[in-house]
Amino acid sequence: MSFIGYKDTIGEGDLVLAFLGRDAIKPIVINKEETLNTRFGSFPHAQMIGLKYGTQMASIKGYGFIHLLQPSAELWTLSLPHRTQIVYTPDSSYITQRLGITAGSRVIEAGTGSASFSHALARTVSAEGHLFTYEFHEPRFLEAKKEFEEHGLLGTPVTINHRDVCKDGFEISNYDGDVKATSVFLDLPAPWEAIAHLSQVISQDEKVGICCFSPCIEQVSKTLDALKEYGWTSVQMVEIQARRWEARQQMVRQVDDAVLRLKDVKRRKLEGIERKRRFYAEHGQPRDEDSEQEVEKRKELEKEETKVDRTEFNPFGRGLRIKDGDEAFNWIKVSKTEAEVKSHTSYLTFAFKQATPSSTT
Amino acid sequence: MTFIKRQTTVQYHQFCLIRLPSEGIKIVEIRPQGIVKLGKFGTFAVDQIVGFPYGQSFEILDDNNVRPIQGSLVELEDDEQDDSLKEKIQYLRQLDVESSETNRDLVDIGNATQELTQEEIETLKKTSNGANIGEAIIDKLIKSHVNFSQKTKHSQEKYLRRKQQKFLRRFTVDLLGPSQLLQYFLEKDPTKVLDMSEESMGLLLSLANVQPGGRYLVIDETGGVIVNALLDRMRGSGELLVVHENEHPNHSALKYSNFEPSVIDRMVKTINLLQFFEPEDERVQWNDLSQQEIEEMKSSKKAHYYRRRDNAIQINDAIDNAVKGDFDALIIVSTLYTPTLVKKMIAKVGGSRPIVVYSQYKEPLVETQVESMQNLELLAPTLHETRCRPYQTIIGRLHPLMTMKGGGGYLFHAIRVFPLQEGVQAVGRGIKKRKIDDQQSVDS
Repeated sequence: MSFIGYKDTIGEGDLVLAFLGRDAIKPIVINKEETLNTRFGSFPHAQMIGLKYGTQMASIKGYGFIHLLQPSAELWTLSLPHRTQIVYTPDSSYITQRLGITAGSRVIEAGTGSASFSHALARTVSAEGHLFTYEFHEPRFLEAKKEFEEHGLLGTPVTINHRDVCKDGFEISNYDGDVKATSVFLDLPAPWEAIAHLSQVISQDEKVGICCFSPCIEQVSKTLDALKEYGWTSVQMVEIQARRWEARQQMVRQVDDAVLRLKDVKRRKLEGIERKRRFYAEHGQPRDEDSEQEVEKRKELEKEETKVDRTEFNPFGRGLRIKDGDEAFNWIKVSKTEAEVKSHTSYLTFAFKQATPSSTT
Repeated sequence: MTFIKRQTTVQYHQFCLIRLPSEGIKIVEIRPQGIVKLGKFGTFAVDQIVGFPYGQSFEILDDNNVRPIQGSLVELEDDEQDDSLKEKIQYLRQLDVESSETNRDLVDIGNATQELTQEEIETLKKTSNGANIGEAIIDKLIKSHVNFSQKTKHSQEKYLRRKQQKFLRRFTVDLLGPSQLLQYFLEKDPTKVLDMSEESMGLLLSLANVQPGGRYLVIDETGGVIVNALLDRMRGSGELLVVHENEHPNHSALKYSNFEPSVIDRMVKTINLLQFFEPEDERVQWNDLSQQEIEEMKSSKKAHYYRRRDNAIQINDAIDNAVKGDFDALIIVSTLYTPTLVKKMIAKVGGSRPIVVYSQYKEPLVETQVESMQNLELLAPTLHETRCRPYQTIIGRLHPLMTMKGGGGYLFHAIRVFPLQEGVQAVGRGIKKRKIDDQQSVDS
């Protein structure tokens, strides 16, 4: 399995994530007959076999390169084919943590969508736990199922169902045994319709947590009504606000240097004026009867004699190509958020259900 | 099987979390015949809660007894489903209090609104019996509240809820999981856990791809709160090599872990920075004595010999482990200067494996990211921040809470890679750069 467990060396049939850039991660299945063609060149699969995961590989022509990475749920989230809006790592990691999902947990997820969170959940519940995921849109269900199969997750620990849980509930036939879910994640347009069906499939012996993931506040409102109606308590809605920061270096440009530079500019300007004055005193004003040749010659001479030398004083390296961090200058390390931040993903409504009293005696 | 399932019911010899109506939390060890004192909320015998599922709430009765109750400790203003809210509404009815449409007539006269004095409350506490103290006091408080009928229904309920938090003798027993242990320290002493929020902990565990069977290289300055969180996701299989900067590691928080000491000893190996970076000089030279020599020793000396032997084996094992390298993740939660720390430790991380560094301040990680951009062994260095914004979750009155906890920390993440050989690399980079520039000029 590529998402659960670890591997050191690339082999035939492995799923490899070819890292071309942050926004260009290409999943490939190693087949020694095939070649990966990218804008950075061509990379024959046959040459990848036997390399260590993490290796930087040069294209056959020697220019351009890619990195060959082992798939993880978090990298998959960045590379997967989008079928729907996906749950990103800051949300999925918090939901996992707050619901206390761990190895051995039994989790319900509806709907599967692009299966981004499914992969992270499968990794965390591991072979000891189980993920029951439901998708009502048939093409998406088929694609997700194929994906789980190719990724070695189908069966253990993932069971996927094509079903509208809002109408038909969560009870399934393609799994041997009771669902007995210990955590529930609902990413549905109308989670309140699904909440009614949960009591048959959640564990009665232990505290069960739920998270409903909805982008609109109106959905949250209806969800709260349903949670209350079906006996869920400790209800709290939160929002995850995540950002990525970009580090840079900024040159320390001292104000005193800026003043000194202005003085330097002024000095040189005066020097130029003085030279001009001297030139005109010596050569007089140009005369109308001068030939074109003489005008040209005088121009050259004026340029030559009034020229002010380039200044040695250039505290900020103007006009030079300065690399960030150049040791001839002082720098501070600074940061700013990305140009575009995800300012809203969804509201996360959490609630819990106590074990039923009958099972406690 | 090494798999250890997470406990779902209260069992002896475990630590669990007690939640109080005041939203205070307390860690309690479930010792046979133990008595737990919850201050003004009363005392109870732990034997009484053993076997109940986590999440169960109780009411404290007389003589250290408890009675399991349904629902949560203190009711949200809107939880009309719950029995105790029904009770509460009945209170208001039976007290025959009125409420106002608006707070127009409510005049703030401070403490004078309450005619019941502190002394009278203290007397009530002494004279009323057991479980009903709280309700009796709340009852009296409302009757003696001069302006109560001038309050709106919403504010009456809010008042009642506040008083319930103060006087009801109830508690909930919860699993002491990694999030709860973190929360406990965040409230008690946030510096101990370097101000890490639950959302940062969750993101750290995901970015580090933590799972059963992994071998992780860890620096944990939280006294073991992170080590415990890793163990919780690994549940019995895998290994941690914890590198620390003192002669002995500080794992004081691990005493609250619900993993048995034998499991922790098996999975967690420790090594100090000197041993880690200079393994060959730090290996302990050890030769076993012969059976005969051991038998001739006095018993105190014999014990000493075995202690020294165990110690030597442990240190040398940890050193072997460090030398072996190829860890499945590097996880750093430390106040050491991270740019150099990361650089020095990269070599021990396996290919394509994550490096995750937590700091409560952004600046060290900004420096780490700047340094990493020059480092060809680190791919896609990224600086993450995540914040959870809680809402007042009452139907019809949803809004973000007016205040929330600040801080929470930052995470640096990168992937360990193996760069091309020097010569090839220079060519590769140069041409690639031109190529990208060309591409961009075409694009734009």
